[in-house]
Formats: sequence, structure tokens, C-alpha cells
Amino acid sequence: MDHFLLLVWHALLVATFFAFLWRSDARGRKFLFLKTFLIMVVGAIVLGWLMFPFP
Amino acid sequence: MTANKARRDGARSQGESDEQPQPVSKVLLLVAWLIPGLGHWLLGKRLRALVFAGVILGAFITGVLLHGELAVPQQNSPLSWFFAFGCIGDGVLYLIRLLWINGIDGIFSASFPYGLDGGGNPVAVGFFYGKTFLYTAGLMNLLVVLDVHDIARGDKS
Repeated sequence: MDHFLLLVWHALLVATFFAFLWRSDARGRKFLFLKTFLIMVVGAIVLGWLMFPFP
Repeated sequence: MTANKARRDGARSQGESDEQPQPVSKVLLLVAWLIPGLGHWLLGKRLRALVFAGVILGAFITGVLLHGELAVPQQNSPLSWFFAFGCIGDGVLYLIRLLWINGIDGIFSASFPYGLDGGGNPVAVGFFYGKTFLYTAGLMNLLVVLDVHDIARGDKS
């Protein structure tokens, strides 16, 4: 089981959901989707790296 | 000056009377909770309905396939009600899954609502991921119900 793929799948679902919940125009939805998706995926990777020094 | 104030007050009260919220049908909210996306569908928001249904169903099925556990109320654990509330947000999916795991006899046992089995396999690699997907699906559907409420009330288009 690929943990990263699950992370991406979860981010994809949540980003799609909030894009359609909070925006009603296509452009706004695309922008919010990309923003939320990238924040979740990149943020998780960065947090993972930051946690390396801690036991 | 006084005439202006009176005109302003009149305009404000006129505006307030125009913006009175619509009463929201409780049946609509119940349907929106039970079947993800149906509330939006009934309000004519077809695209949003399909997307919400797909996303929530996708998250729920992923959670089940990963052997995640549904939250159920547990005795002497008040916090378990909080988690259960999040999962109950899944609506009919939650009820079907509980029925699948416990059977009719198990659900209506003497200790109801305690003693229910939430399923899942704690030894499975995806156990906690599965739980996350199941909780996420429930919480998303609760937000969908609130969205249906806002649209039906006229606060949102």
C-alpha cells in the first residue's frame, strides 16, 4: 500500500469538495482546488521532513 | 434632516423585510443527511450534487476498503459520542455499514447504542488511514447538510 498515493487521493477528494462548497464559478473553483490540493500535499511532505530530527 | 433619517429608516426596514430568511423544510435536511448529494439535487444544484455524492461515496468506500473502523458510542467514553457524531454524518452509508457488520439483532441488542461493532481490522496497515477517510466522509456530509440549509434559506445561491 502506497501511503503517498493515499495522501494524494485524500487531498484530491477534500480539495474537490471545498472547491465546490465554497466557490460557484469555474475559475474560482479551479483556483481554490489547486491551492487546497497543493497546500495539503506539499504541506504534508514539508511537515514530514521537519519531523525527521525528532524522535 | 429628519425626513432623510425617516427615509433611511424606511429603506432599512423595507430591505430587512425583503431579506427575511425562507423557512427550511426539515424533511429536506433529513434527506440531505441520509443520501449525500440528494439535498442539492432537489434544490436544482445538479452538478454540485453529483460532485458531493461522488466525493463522499469515494471517501467512504476507500475507508471501508482500507479496513477502517466506524466510530460507535462506547460506555464510559463521552468523547466516543463526538467521534460517532462525525461518522453518523455519513447518513445511510453509516447505517448500512453498521447493519452489514452487526446484523439486525446486533444493532437492536439490549445494550443499544452501546456494544456496537464499528468493523475494521486494527492489524491492517490501512486501519488508521481508513478511519480518517470514514471520518472525513461523515464530516463532509455534515457540511453539505449545512450548505443545503443555507441554499434553501436563501442565504446562498
